[in-house]
Amino acid sequence: MITDINFFQVLLAGFFLTIVFLHIAKKNSTITILYAAQSCVVVLLLARSFFETGMISSLIITVLVLVVKVVLAPVFITRLVRRHKLKFLVSSYVNMPLSLVIVTALTAAAHSSFFMPLVTIVPANQQFLSLALSALFISLFLIVNRKGALSQIVGILSLENSIVVFALFAGLEQSLGLQIGILFDVFVWLIIANVFISMLYTHFGSLDVTEMKKLKD
Amino acid sequence: MELIIIFGSILLAAILCLSIKNRKSTEYISVIVSLVVFGESVIVSMEVARVGFYTLFHFFYVDALGAIAMLIIALVGLAATVYSVQYLREETTKQIIGFTRVRQYFVLLYLFLAAMFLAVTSGSPIFTWIAIEATTLSTAFLISFYNKPSALEAAWKYLIVNSIGLLLGFFGTLLYFTSLGAIGEGGIITWGVLLSNAVYLDPVIAKIAFIFVLIGYGTKMGLAPMHTWLPDAHGKAPAPISALLSGVLLNVAFIVVLRFKVITDASVGSGFSQKLFIAFGLLSIIVAALIVFTQKSYKRLLAYSSVENMGIVAIGFGFGGGGIFAAILHMMYHSLIKSALFLSSGTIFLKYSSTKIAKVRGVITALPITGVLFLVGLFAITGTPPFGIFLTKILILSAGIQKHLFASVVALLFMVILFVGFFKHAVAIMFGEKPSEIEIEKESAWLVVPPLMLVATALYISFYMPPFLNILITMVVSRF
Repeated sequence: MITDINFFQVLLAGFFLTIVFLHIAKKNSTITILYAAQSCVVVLLLARSFFETGMISSLIITVLVLVVKVVLAPVFITRLVRRHKLKFLVSSYVNMPLSLVIVTALTAAAHSSFFMPLVTIVPANQQFLSLALSALFISLFLIVNRKGALSQIVGILSLENSIVVFALFAGLEQSLGLQIGILFDVFVWLIIANVFISMLYTHFGSLDVTEMKKLKD
Repeated sequence: MELIIIFGSILLAAILCLSIKNRKSTEYISVIVSLVVFGESVIVSMEVARVGFYTLFHFFYVDALGAIAMLIIALVGLAATVYSVQYLREETTKQIIGFTRVRQYFVLLYLFLAAMFLAVTSGSPIFTWIAIEATTLSTAFLISFYNKPSALEAAWKYLIVNSIGLLLGFFGTLLYFTSLGAIGEGGIITWGVLLSNAVYLDPVIAKIAFIFVLIGYGTKMGLAPMHTWLPDAHGKAPAPISALLSGVLLNVAFIVVLRFKVITDASVGSGFSQKLFIAFGLLSIIVAALIVFTQKSYKRLLAYSSVENMGIVAIGFGFGGGGIFAAILHMMYHSLIKSALFLSSGTIFLKYSSTKIAKVRGVITALPITGVLFLVGLFAITGTPPFGIFLTKILILSAGIQKHLFASVVALLFMVILFVGFFKHAVAIMFGEKPSEIEIEKESAWLVVPPLMLVATALYISFYMPPFLNILITMVVSRF
């Protein structure tokens, strides 16, 4: 479990800001960088956990997360963007100012008394858990607000990162085997999502999900 | 040992299907492995009925609920595999798919089956989550199997909606682990450990965790309002896959929710989860009933029926008492009948090359056996006697009338609406004028026997429950 306040205040603030910037970003290259940066924070948190405990399992999982989330995931996304010349992101359902208002409201909600039992799982980490919970809500909003399939993928990956960060500060880390299982799942999911993105682009000529109208009730 | 044979033979079959380039060998392997898996599942279930549980390496743990799920997976898996052989042959004849796609199909089918077996036999909630996520990943390609834009769109929707749902479910799962802080447990945490530590779980966290789990896994089981992916995915997948998605996967997801319900109930009492079950269940029945009349596709019609039936099972557990017994039976009957209906719908599709209700007329003339099977299935699924679903619906509603009169009346009202809606479409499909271009030919036994076997099994267990199955159901009821 993580407890060093100053170090983590900076990291968590950075983590939270990457998700806010994901809402503002206009280019696919920007969201890729932001996701890589966000994953770097997760790696640093895991690395810190290794230095505190000295457990080899922490080191293994840190390296694996580094490889999958900081290296492979951005590489996959970048290759997709280049292959299909997808420079700009597809727009969102809600305009930018309103999106930011909603982001603020979600952050406030995560800090409200309603979620107090969740963020006080480890009372010393209350502010970190509140921020991780905010990140979780904002990632969810990113997925539902963006019209682009690529943004939805990054949103889901960001949601997963937020849950990992929450688990770290709540002292809910799993055993090495299970963490590897989860990471393998994320990795396979990433590959499949990549394949689907390419197939979607081939069939629809766009990654705008509102252009997909072949299914009618 | 039995579980090793099940997982080993499934994985071996997947590898062989991937490497063998002879179609007949692929088909033989598929059918033989399905038979082996079914046989082993029956052995495991009988062992659970005898001893109370089945365990392997402390990692696999099969209780009565898991044993019932294993039987459903194995039986519907067997029917779907046998049916797939001829179904895919006919699609190859029509030049819709080639042999490479057939091999891919069987490999993905086996991965799907393995993931479902893993989900219900794993002793760890986290590994269960990984297995459920694996079902999403393997079936996404099966839903988009025909590589058409509509199928691709359905698969994408399925992938995204279920991924979000499962991440929320994962978050909820992690919250249950907060109870372990008090005693400092390490290593792999099992369902049993979570249950025995439920007293340490903060009641408010337990409630929030259950909401996340219900929304997360509820997405996978097709409860409204998280059901939006279901009609698209079930409507676009190949018929045998739709049978497995609708008849099996929804139950597997529900079983995971039930495992968390037991833990939540131990922390906050059963009232909280029961209220949520009633709310989501009722909403599912209402949504399905309101949409059924405007349906244009018979496969989507069946998919909405699954939303309704999952709702009925949920309110059964919500009402409690006799409703729980009826809900378990309902889950079993629904699996068998709905899978039979989807398999029959595949035969209709092969004949008419369309899933549109408006284009399918005179099925009873063009496909007499399949037509009768489909009609019988529709009667059964809407709760017509002598099928067990009639009895389970009555039992669930009578369990609810005492304590939840309003919910029971609303459920009954919308069940009647669904019944009428179904028969409006069924009459049109079955008894209309057969299009002149549709020829009457002898139906392939390979396409008739699997759904027939499922309907016959459902009818059989409506009148006589084998003793070991009876014991399993009693064990499950005693847990709630």
